[in-house]
Amino acid sequence: MTVLTEQSEKTQCWFCGSENAAEAQFCEACGKLQPSAPLDYFQFFGLPRRLQLDRVALEKQFYRLSRKLHPDVYARASAQEQQWSLEKSSLLNDAWRTLRDPLARTEYVLELEDIRLEEQSRDATDAAAASGTAKEQIVPPDLLEEVFELNMQLEEMRMAHASGENDPELQGNLEAAKQNFNAQLIAAEQQLQALWSEWDEAADANNPAAKQTAQQKMVDLLNRRSYIRNLVRDVQEVLGS
Amino acid sequence: MAYSEKVIEHYNNPRNVGQMDKSSTEVGTGLVGAPECGDVMRLQIKVNPLTRVIEDAKFKTFGCGSAIASSSLATEWVKGKTVDEALEIKNTDIVKELSLPPVKIHCSVLAEDAIRAAIGDWKKKNVVGGEQVSASAAVAAN
Repeated sequence: MTVLTEQSEKTQCWFCGSENAAEAQFCEACGKLQPSAPLDYFQFFGLPRRLQLDRVALEKQFYRLSRKLHPDVYARASAQEQQWSLEKSSLLNDAWRTLRDPLARTEYVLELEDIRLEEQSRDATDAAAASGTAKEQIVPPDLLEEVFELNMQLEEMRMAHASGENDPELQGNLEAAKQNFNAQLIAAEQQLQALWSEWDEAADANNPAAKQTAQQKMVDLLNRRSYIRNLVRDVQEVLGS
Repeated sequence: MAYSEKVIEHYNNPRNVGQMDKSSTEVGTGLVGAPECGDVMRLQIKVNPLTRVIEDAKFKTFGCGSAIASSSLATEWVKGKTVDEALEIKNTDIVKELSLPPVKIHCSVLAEDAIRAAIGDWKKKNVVGGEQVSASAAVAAN
């Protein structure tokens, strides 16, 4: 397996003493399973920390590793190796679920880069309470206004809808709202992909300032997206009822 | 996860739902959001310019039961308080009153943010040359 990680620390194989990359799952020389090192999901897959990734290659690697790490393979091995196999199999599944999902992967990378969406919000609240000022909203005020307005309209439609009359105009408005939200959701996903390449390029160039700029844009976009996702969910609920 | 009885009570009978005239100088409006869950909350206060007492409060929240209950409770609590007293309300008080579980603490944070934002908006409207209009109005009234 090709190891593309940026780390180059070495460890010795517990069995044959050969030198291996710290993130190696198996000894290059004797093939023995290596202890569970604290690896992030990218390192675990032997991938560089990048947002754009090859889904097919990731999937292949997942199936390859799940076979090789499976606890059944170690049924007759030492208790220590059985334990490692269990730990690694569980980590493998978490890593796979996170990396294959575009949003989960983005959030995970932001977390690895020490950005936590919820904590940002909490910190801003604490700062506001300490200084006695209104909290600086993480979401731009015009987006909040827009989301609030859309929610108001949606509620009006929902109430009219619930009161039973099958108003074709209302139905049309709902369909239009749904299309609008869906289009915004798709647009957000496209913007996210553009930000992935922006971030990856910054990471390739080892440019922390450019990485941070891209990260902040991703945070803003993910925040916006969670509002739109709720609107999509709500309008579908009204139309479906 | 089950909601506490108080949350359910506020959710079923939310207090002070509605809106007030945003453009009135006596009204402060706070619009805040919790991006993590996509909630959005608007809280408005109507302040007596002479006494600085919050005489009325309204809210409208799009979000989960805990967010609705937190804002409903916030409007109840700010009513009758002066703006300075209302600034003392902490999200932890709301958490305690509603027995919110850890995953819903951000709803109470949102309510605290909303109170602060509404008061901030009111203050902004009522400051002339760095001095509170209400203070000079109080002097004039004497």
